[in-house]
Amino acid sequence: MAKKEIIEHYTSLCRMCDNRCGINVYVENGRIIDITGLREHKWNHGRICVKGRLGVDQVNAPDRILKPLKRVGSRWEEIDLEQAYDEIAVKIKKLQATWGKRAMSIWKGEALGFLTQEELARRFTHAIGSPNYFSNDSQCYVGRWIGYALVTGNWATQDFINTRCAVIWGSNPPYSQPNLTQAILGAKEKGAKIIVIDIRLSAIARQADEFVQILPGTDGALALGIARQLIEDDNISHKFISGYTHGFEEYAEYVAAFTPDRVEKETGIPADTVVHIAREIGNRRPKISIYAGNGLEHHENGINNIRAIACLDGLLGNLDELGGNFIAEKPDLRSLTLYREKPLRHLQPIGADRFPVLYDFRKECHTMTGMDTILTGKPYPLKGMILSGGNPALTNPNSRKVVKALKALELFVVRELFMTETAKLADYVLPAASYLEHSELHFHPIHQIIGISRQIVTFENCDYDYIFYKKLAARMGVEKYFPWKDSEELTRWMLQDTGITIDDLLAHPEGLEYKPRRYQKYKDNDLLSTPSGKFEFVSDYLKNYGYSYLPEYIPPTYITRPNPEYPYVLSTGARKVFYTHGRNRNFKCCKTAIPNPDIEIHPIDAKNLGVSTGDIVTVTSTVGSVDIPVKVVHSSHILPGVTQITHGWKESNVNLVTHDDRNDPIDGFPLLKSVEIKIKPKVDTSDI
Amino acid sequence: MRIIIIGNSAAGLGGLEAFRETDRDSSVTVITRESKQPYSRVLLPYYLRKKVPYENLFIRDKTYYSRLNAKCVTGEVLQLQPEQQTILLEDGSKLSYDRLLIATGSSPVTPPIPGLSGNDIFHLWSLQDAADLMVHFQKGKDVVILGSGFVSLQGAWAALSRGLNVSIIELMDRIMPSALDESTAGILTDQIRKSGINLRLGTVTEQVEQTDNGKLLLHFRDGNSLITDFIIVGTGVQPNISFIRGCGINIDAGIVVDRQMRSNLPGIYAAGDVAQVPSALGGDPVIHALWPTAVETGRIAGSCMAGEKVSYQGSLNMNVTRMFNTTVASMGKFIAAENRECWTDKSLPEDQSLKIMLEEDVPVGAVCIGSSDLVSTLGMLRPLIRGKVSLRGKPEMLKAILAKNIAQYHRAFGKEY
Amino acid sequence: MRFITMDVTKCVVCRNCEYACSFRQAGDFDRDHSNIRVEYYDDVKICLPQTCMHCDNAWCLEICPAAAIIRNETTGAIEIISERCVGCEMCILACPFGNIHFDKINLVSRKCNLCEGEPNCVSFCISGALQYIEAENSYKNNRIIFQRFIDKLSQNNNK
Ligand SMILES: Cc1cc2nc3c(=O)[nH]c(=O)nc-3n(C[C@H](O)[C@H](O)[C@H](O)COP(=O)(O)OP(=O)(O)OC[C@H]3O[C@@H](n4cnc5c(N)ncnc54)[C@H](O)[C@@H]3O)c2cc1C
Ligand code: SF4
Ligand code: SF4
Repeated sequence: MAKKEIIEHYTSLCRMCDNRCGINVYVENGRIIDITGLREHKWNHGRICVKGRLGVDQVNAPDRILKPLKRVGSRWEEIDLEQAYDEIAVKIKKLQATWGKRAMSIWKGEALGFLTQEELARRFTHAIGSPNYFSNDSQCYVGRWIGYALVTGNWATQDFINTRCAVIWGSNPPYSQPNLTQAILGAKEKGAKIIVIDIRLSAIARQADEFVQILPGTDGALALGIARQLIEDDNISHKFISGYTHGFEEYAEYVAAFTPDRVEKETGIPADTVVHIAREIGNRRPKISIYAGNGLEHHENGINNIRAIACLDGLLGNLDELGGNFIAEKPDLRSLTLYREKPLRHLQPIGADRFPVLYDFRKECHTMTGMDTILTGKPYPLKGMILSGGNPALTNPNSRKVVKALKALELFVVRELFMTETAKLADYVLPAASYLEHSELHFHPIHQIIGISRQIVTFENCDYDYIFYKKLAARMGVEKYFPWKDSEELTRWMLQDTGITIDDLLAHPEGLEYKPRRYQKYKDNDLLSTPSGKFEFVSDYLKNYGYSYLPEYIPPTYITRPNPEYPYVLSTGARKVFYTHGRNRNFKCCKTAIPNPDIEIHPIDAKNLGVSTGDIVTVTSTVGSVDIPVKVVHSSHILPGVTQITHGWKESNVNLVTHDDRNDPIDGFPLLKSVEIKIKPKVDTSDI
Repeated sequence: MRIIIIGNSAAGLGGLEAFRETDRDSSVTVITRESKQPYSRVLLPYYLRKKVPYENLFIRDKTYYSRLNAKCVTGEVLQLQPEQQTILLEDGSKLSYDRLLIATGSSPVTPPIPGLSGNDIFHLWSLQDAADLMVHFQKGKDVVILGSGFVSLQGAWAALSRGLNVSIIELMDRIMPSALDESTAGILTDQIRKSGINLRLGTVTEQVEQTDNGKLLLHFRDGNSLITDFIIVGTGVQPNISFIRGCGINIDAGIVVDRQMRSNLPGIYAAGDVAQVPSALGGDPVIHALWPTAVETGRIAGSCMAGEKVSYQGSLNMNVTRMFNTTVASMGKFIAAENRECWTDKSLPEDQSLKIMLEEDVPVGAVCIGSSDLVSTLGMLRPLIRGKVSLRGKPEMLKAILAKNIAQYHRAFGKEY
Repeated sequence: MRFITMDVTKCVVCRNCEYACSFRQAGDFDRDHSNIRVEYYDDVKICLPQTCMHCDNAWCLEICPAAAIIRNETTGAIEIISERCVGCEMCILACPFGNIHFDKINLVSRKCNLCEGEPNCVSFCISGALQYIEAENSYKNNRIIFQRFIDKLSQNNNK
């Protein structure tokens, strides 16, 4: 677009997904009119996806909530913002006085910001004396983080750019982390092998050298089988194993049972493929980058499957290597959380007793237990919640229960850009600021760069997170925790120990390197951040809790105890190119391109069911059912018997059939990706 | 060197431009008996439809000849005198040439039907015809179109779009025999009838009569008759070669030329509708009275006249047009025959069709009706027909095969070729 | 001049380019409005983005009977002047790559014009399959290169 003189130009970072690509933002007469990729940014090199461009649609959307709303009976009434804050503060105080401090909770969604937003939410929760900070993280991302951290003390980032072998396991970067694709295929251009392990022929699988199609939830068996093969071929890093690992012998003994034939039986992958990919990977030691995607979480044995994959790093010696799985150092930002100053574990954060690992590692309360707590009052009453930029009514499992629970709250405040299914349940809906309306720090671990996103426009009534918490804190008598005037002061404070200033960041829109990259840091004084300081093939920590010491493989229920009434297995949550979870469904152009949800099914299953693309079917699990149109995909796309539905559609909400109470025992993640279902063509009764 | 080009349409312009790409200096004279500023016949129906304004009929600007260092003379060429290397113009002047390009195109013919002459009988061929017709293209008027070839149907579509009551009278029992196969023609026929046109097939016009109230009355052999305000005759064309008959030039259906567009007489070239040229599919030389062939052959002639060593690959007929809210296209040998395999696209809805003809796995032609995506498919197939590249596979693999070729081209781009 | 190369070993058929082009042309994510089209061919496992190559002696430019196709002297792009286009579709049939499309609303042909020298599709291509690069002479698409390719295809396929 030809940029006219009067148009102002800003550089910033996109927050339409977690990638945070460098962007140019163009403003005309106070209105954002265009967003383009920032050429010099080290992450995306000038390229962005269309989701990024949708930031313009989001900020200017005609259906944005710009007035605070209060529920009066079954209607919404507009209310003055300060008045709303006053009322909310009074209600929280009353609620905490009646039911105890911990009866109040905060839920951080993903839609509004990044790091600072999360820390502020945690800070506010503790400031008002409650341990109950919730977020979408108790069912996304953190499972992999914990799985890896149990083994390596950290979740490393993939140095795809320099790798010789990229393994993309249960992830579809073109849709979920768009500009990671550049790095992966850049490596391919330089000769790296691309191995994709997935239940579906995803976008990235189209360019894989090896596409390995696996049965949902059986990934652990494959990882253990690869390990067995690497050991048998003696294709392993003895130096790393002997110098820096813990429990190799027991682990090696355990994996010995995972012969190619056994793996074939467990995973559906031909035995020779297992051998072949083990060699393809092993022969490229140590420049191997393995990325474990969201497809690995959401299973009953998720954590152990992820541990099994993480253990491969121990054999391959690719940990913290150039071109391997790199353990990035963090910038020395001051933390906003109050866990040190004001630990509240004794107040029984929700889920911490059921899933102590989740709380130990991430200080996350368990949202699914939270729903039960609201409904039962056990182990104590949970009566209030402030939720920012999240939509659990669509994105948490067992939506029917979620809706019931959120409705049952005495006080439910939602801060949102749009009237989501969740916002509809609130007592107060407050306009929120989008990522273009506040400033925040971001870092890209792989390059060890830090950057700042900018406040480019503002809208009346749309307070950004810091201001919201500050104003509310003042009314609650805890303003001492929010002493900074605005986000700029706050950011300055956070940066204090880094030697970096806001001006430095503004001068480096390409991303400022906060520390040069160092490799194999575990060889120096920095031990791995595990209890033993070593790479843990086995975990004494887990054993102490009564969990599996080894990365044990337990096959999914749909395989071990198939239920003839529910013969199909459903995986949920594969992303669409421009929909991030429940978001962006309200933009006209997205509707044009992908107007409706669907259930992907194999042609053989379609034939058996007597359905074709577009036909409506009823999908039922033991939890509930949902009507949804069929999409018969190419036979190479998905295995017979396996189906997939993308989440986040209110038209056909797949979380009506997912399980909130069948969880991974270690981190409590729900079963979303191997749900037993039945499918019935919906008889069209309109003609009868 | 003195160059003369007779004709300033597709072939003449192609000749001039290609000549000038090599030779900037020789004197070039272009002669036309129509408008000095070149225009495009193809656009005339669109002009009548008011899709484009009059000025857009002209396809080169006013400075064109001077930019190309050429002179343009208007006037009819009456005679060619090869021995003297001169041509005779209607004003009596003579012009000498060293090399001559005959690009005189073709003209419509009028069938010998009694009464088929006079003020209300038109062709749709020249700028003048279009200007004359424009006066009659008034909402509510009745028009009869004789013939159902490409040009006639475009005329009919234009008249219909302008709100006239349109009848098409075709002698044969189907439309467009030279551009569509029978079943595709059938789909188009339905489309035409659905649009509200009175299409009469197998109808022989015996006589045209002027009525007292200034209308025309057509009498048909089957005893029926039809009253109309005016008639557009579109029953075929013939090459404009009257001025060279008997001068020793080799004429069959048109001027017979070789792959360099040379006639049998030294220094005399021919291109466009007037020339009978080698076919891309082998066999006898052909006249493809089509715009693309005229451009291609004109350019080959121009280059050869300037001394370039180029050779025509042969004409591959291509017809395409959008009318009656659909697109029809064909190329090569598109009629089913005994030695030909026919691939059809079975996934298309009833009012669309795509057929590819193959001889021993090698595509030789195709025909389609429906969306323009089908035309793209034909476009990708064209080079394979020309290059005689066999298509191995099954009909449902057509798109994948074409994609594979292009992918292979991209992969090797800048490296292998 | 510069033109867009399409790397079939990188394209993942995410269609960001298509949506971005369509958005620029018509403010919507509608394939029909896009000048670049991307397809995944399951049976042959090919990812194919397709947009104009801006060839030397472009076939479409040469045969357009309306003189509606020109070469932009600044960017080198082959462009359709939509006001002059009559929608005869001859160019669609002439393009050997299938890179010209029909605009069903305005009833004219449409194609890539390199966005005045800053092609939108390239900056939205998240795989790096699309690159906007300087065309060396040997690299530039022209009929000789294309003919060599066809000759080779015919040699290989007709064995
Ligand atoms: C209405 C209409 C629609 C058409 N639509 C299509 C279509 O969709 N697709 C397609 O491929 N083709 C179409 N055609 C055919 C196409 O227009 C011709 O094939 C093309 O114009 C041939 O070009 P040409 O240069 O050989 O001759 P012409 O265009 O016939 O030009 C002949 C030139 O020679 C000059 N001339 C002729 N005789 C003399 C003489 N004795 N003295 C001096 N000058 C002379 C004329 O003035 C003119 O300049 C259409 C034709 C018409 C009339
Ligand atoms: S469709 Fe338009 S641009 Fe294409 S050849 Fe016809 S007039 Fe020219
Ligand atoms: S944006 Fe790039 S990777 Fe995606 S479809 Fe287009 S060319 Fe392919």
